[in-house]
Amino acid sequence: MQNLYAGLAEIFEIDASEVGPDTVLANHNWDSLAIVSTIALVDEICGELLDGAALNACVTASDIVALIPQAKAA
Amino acid sequence: MTTAAATPAEGRSRRGGYVLSGVALRGVICAVPGAPVANSVIAQTLGDQAVADVVKMVGVETRHWAAPDQTSADLCAAAAERLLEKLQWEPDSVDALIFVTQTPDHPLPASACLLHGRLGLATDCQAFDVNLGCSGYVYGLWLAASLIQSGCRRVLLLAGETSSRLVDPSDRGTAVLFGDAGSASAIEQDSAAPTLRFRMGTDGAGAGALMVPQGGFRPVDPDRAFTLDPTRLHMDGGEVFTFTLREVPKLVADTLADAGLAGEAVDAYLLHQANRFMLRHIGKKIGATDAERLPINIDRYGNTSSATIPLLLADDMAERLTAGATRLMLVGFGVGLSWGAVLGEFGPLACAEVISA
Repeated sequence: MQNLYAGLAEIFEIDASEVGPDTVLANHNWDSLAIVSTIALVDEICGELLDGAALNACVTASDIVALIPQAKAA
Repeated sequence: MTTAAATPAEGRSRRGGYVLSGVALRGVICAVPGAPVANSVIAQTLGDQAVADVVKMVGVETRHWAAPDQTSADLCAAAAERLLEKLQWEPDSVDALIFVTQTPDHPLPASACLLHGRLGLATDCQAFDVNLGCSGYVYGLWLAASLIQSGCRRVLLLAGETSSRLVDPSDRGTAVLFGDAGSASAIEQDSAAPTLRFRMGTDGAGAGALMVPQGGFRPVDPDRAFTLDPTRLHMDGGEVFTFTLREVPKLVADTLADAGLAGEAVDAYLLHQANRFMLRHIGKKIGATDAERLPINIDRYGNTSSATIPLLLADDMAERLTAGATRLMLVGFGVGLSWGAVLGEFGPLACAEVISA
């Protein structure tokens, strides 16, 4: 998941060391643009298309990680 | 005896794909209103930071906005007049006029009929509107090609939008993104023309992702809370993006498969200019990453709905298309949700240019 955290750091325009499972998305302008960027990021890393509404409901970075196996199962 | 499903080469294994022949695109003219409008103008309403955040993703630097009394039909009429003049087509030689728009002059009659009158076309020329947006140019070409196969000789395809009238200026997601433009394309019967391969689809379950909720004849639910003016465009960017990533790479792959071609055989992919970030992402997925094979002009025109593909033909591709033939795949996708692609050899065109209206 290091790729994902590094990608999120790029989206949030902060240092990669500042992003981990407990990162609170709301502290980093978790808006529709960030969500669209994250959809592209996850598609690039593992070829999975996450649902925008499900991403919108995520609170921490670990919530995003948790969505990925669900996307695989769907 | 596992038959049809197991042998995809047999019969009508892949629905939604069609082959048409004997149809040639002769010329494309686009018309944009007034001077380019810079992001700084929008920043006066939305603030510098909000605009900068959106611009980073969508990539729009300037766009054109129609004057208050200027409509999509006006832009398309200007383009059509220039096109007829350039091709030296007599108005009474046109058999059909198709107008693709979601911003018609009136609820009725069809703006195509008004355009028919303005252009002085013959009374035995058919004229009708098509209410589609981002996929509309491909649908329009499909309809024009089908009319020609039905016996028409010359078809005018007009496609244009004044989305600036539909966006809520306080909605940063749409206020920065959209621009206005009109286009006119000339399609003619030509038995020597190479084959065109079309592929179309729809996902009506996603219709709510791009919608103007009020203004038609269905009453709006009085209990529904709107964050934006219900008479303006509502766009769920995340849903539209997911839909595009799900359908467009598949559409491109299926259209190539219909033709038995590899992706490298396509000289350029002309994708609906939805959003620069999205275009680059799809470009990577379909293996077209340079400006030669994936032209992008959303920086100059914004997302002009059904006019984005004609703007690519008349601007970025103008030199290549007037000089000779080139194999293109045109791909439209968006409001509906609706999508379409056409693959074929286009050119040499007699004219391809963008004019000011």
